[in-house]
Amino acid sequence: MQPWVDAEALVWGGAKPSVTGDVLVLALRLRDPKGHAEVRGGRFVLATGAIRPVQMDGAEVTLRAPWGSALESFGGTPVVPRFGARPYDWLAGGRVSEKVGVHAILGVSYLQRRADGEISDHELGADAAFAPARWLDVAAFGAYDLTSPGIADARVSAASRFDKFRVEVFASELSPGRLLPATSLFSVLGDFPSETVGGTVKWLAAPRLDVLASGAGQDVGGGLGGNGWLRATLRLDDRGEGNLGLELRRVDVSTAEWTGIRGVAALPLGHGLRFSTEVEVVVPDHPVGNGIAWPWGLMALAYRSRSGWEAAGAVEASSTPLHAYETNALVRLSRRWEAP
Amino acid sequence: MRRSLTFLIFAALALAACAGVLGIRPHDQSHPFEHRAHATHGVNCVDCHQGVATAGDIEPLHLPTDASCRGCHQKPHDQHSCLGCHGAQYVREGAKLAREHLRFEHRAHQSATHGDCVRCHQAVAEEHPETLRPKMATCFGCHEHRDEWPLRTCDSCHKDLSAEDTPPTSHLIHDGDWLREHGVRAAGARDLCASCHSERSCAGCHGVGTVPALPAMLAFDEVPLSGLHRAGFVARHSMEARADPGLCTTCHSEDSCQGCHNREHVGPTTTSRSPHPPGWITTGAGGGDHGVQARIDPSSCAGCHGGAGEQLCVGCHRVGGPGGTPHGPGFRSNRNKTHDLPCRMCHGAGL
Repeated sequence: MQPWVDAEALVWGGAKPSVTGDVLVLALRLRDPKGHAEVRGGRFVLATGAIRPVQMDGAEVTLRAPWGSALESFGGTPVVPRFGARPYDWLAGGRVSEKVGVHAILGVSYLQRRADGEISDHELGADAAFAPARWLDVAAFGAYDLTSPGIADARVSAASRFDKFRVEVFASELSPGRLLPATSLFSVLGDFPSETVGGTVKWLAAPRLDVLASGAGQDVGGGLGGNGWLRATLRLDDRGEGNLGLELRRVDVSTAEWTGIRGVAALPLGHGLRFSTEVEVVVPDHPVGNGIAWPWGLMALAYRSRSGWEAAGAVEASSTPLHAYETNALVRLSRRWEAP
Repeated sequence: MRRSLTFLIFAALALAACAGVLGIRPHDQSHPFEHRAHATHGVNCVDCHQGVATAGDIEPLHLPTDASCRGCHQKPHDQHSCLGCHGAQYVREGAKLAREHLRFEHRAHQSATHGDCVRCHQAVAEEHPETLRPKMATCFGCHEHRDEWPLRTCDSCHKDLSAEDTPPTSHLIHDGDWLREHGVRAAGARDLCASCHSERSCAGCHGVGTVPALPAMLAFDEVPLSGLHRAGFVARHSMEARADPGLCTTCHSEDSCQGCHNREHVGPTTTSRSPHPPGWITTGAGGGDHGVQARIDPSSCAGCHGGAGEQLCVGCHRVGGPGGTPHGPGFRSNRNKTHDLPCRMCHGAGL
């Protein structure tokens, strides 16, 4: 709208099974044109540092110093669907960050959230991002639960690019009981962290062909397992408007053991028309009477007019553990307007 | 009748899918403009792009017209518009987008470049340029913007970066397994994310009650391979949750399963189907598999049994109850067990 103010709203409506709708975003942002101060208010998703994303009705103030220090502070109420409200639910917290040289950012965050007046989340977090060389990026964060002392969520990722490859190694530790609100009865079952260590390689095999492979070892509640997938995408033109893709996946963790294959194709037909299809077959190791394979498929045709209108229709068919056969017809009509 | 209709729909879709291969789709006859050939014949840029050297921020694009071409090519080889074939449409679209989204004046750059357009428009020398717009790295060759990088203010050049919806070619690319990686990358760089992404980018997935707005639901016709909730997620979802305990909770609230499960009659009521395997709850020592599985992923239990449903657990696991203590190894808490939730549910009244 202006260099110092912008506003955004995202609202949806539907009629399944009864007329309903909700406001996802209704936010106003005011800022000093130089970027030193910013105020955000309304309904928005708060995500900063080690604080997990939370949709809230409230306000956030950010102050930034030219030398790289920043202070963020926020407060409000967690969103309840369809403008519901729960008394005495609120959250507050903040983050302080410091840029170290030109290659690193360090941050410390704090969150307290209450449900019906009782503490449901109380966390201290730390985050860091380093880029010590042009070819190396490292990012990490960790959240420490102050109610049930221990690590709630910690992740680290290091990525490197060279020639036609990008290699990433990652590790994470999640404590599911600590990710639940502390007011939940299921938060008292003990500390059974889920730990993952793995890597991903992306190879630009040809100018229009990407190959991506990922594998990880997991320790889930003391049981070892792993998962991996291989994905190839072939673009049919330089701009990637048409493409073919294939993915193979194997998961062997805890009681989740299955193999899957997925294929996608998108073909521009000219005159604003685009055809796309997506097919997946999942084969569980232990189907226990729910069918030996769960196929799913979709065919869609979309049209985009020069005036900004878009129309798309699709037929979706699947066989799931719940329904031996299910078909759905999907239709979307959309128009995008932008205020000057 | 129904079979015939189904056959017709499938035949039409199959034909549409093969249209490009079969040659039904008209081929685009345009090709990149022969800038190099013109330059080697001594044609100056401003001979065709007249007025561009003095152009400000709001003037037209100064693209050549057919009349400009006929100034030299007096006998064109056909009567079609020159720009219909000479010059790729997407390159001209790129120029229009630049005019729309960027603050830029050619006239302000004349003295620094000494009128040498190729100093910035380096791609004109390429045979098949992706774009003729200078890359950001070229701009940074002179404009360092040192004071603006720490504050993430891009407004000196970009009018509204989030509205551009254009991934820069010389900037951060979201490759690899970005869906998994984006959280840890964004943790320390929210300002950087916000310089391109608006609020709806996060709210589409991380908001409450966002299912209708999820990309897999809304953009069903766009079929990238990445996306946890794509394709047969409904069939896979319980295995996805068990394979990565706690993952669902990082985005979803603890009661988010109930809406679907109620609709599909999967749940704890007597008329519903139970999602639990045989041996889930047994009488006697151990009590079946439910205890072990609940400790591995308590969020899955909370998905259906959260809130008022917790009374189901309290019935057996309260202090003195037949289920014994639910606290597993590593359990620690700073809460007051007789006053705070959820402790008081089992430990209340002095238990």
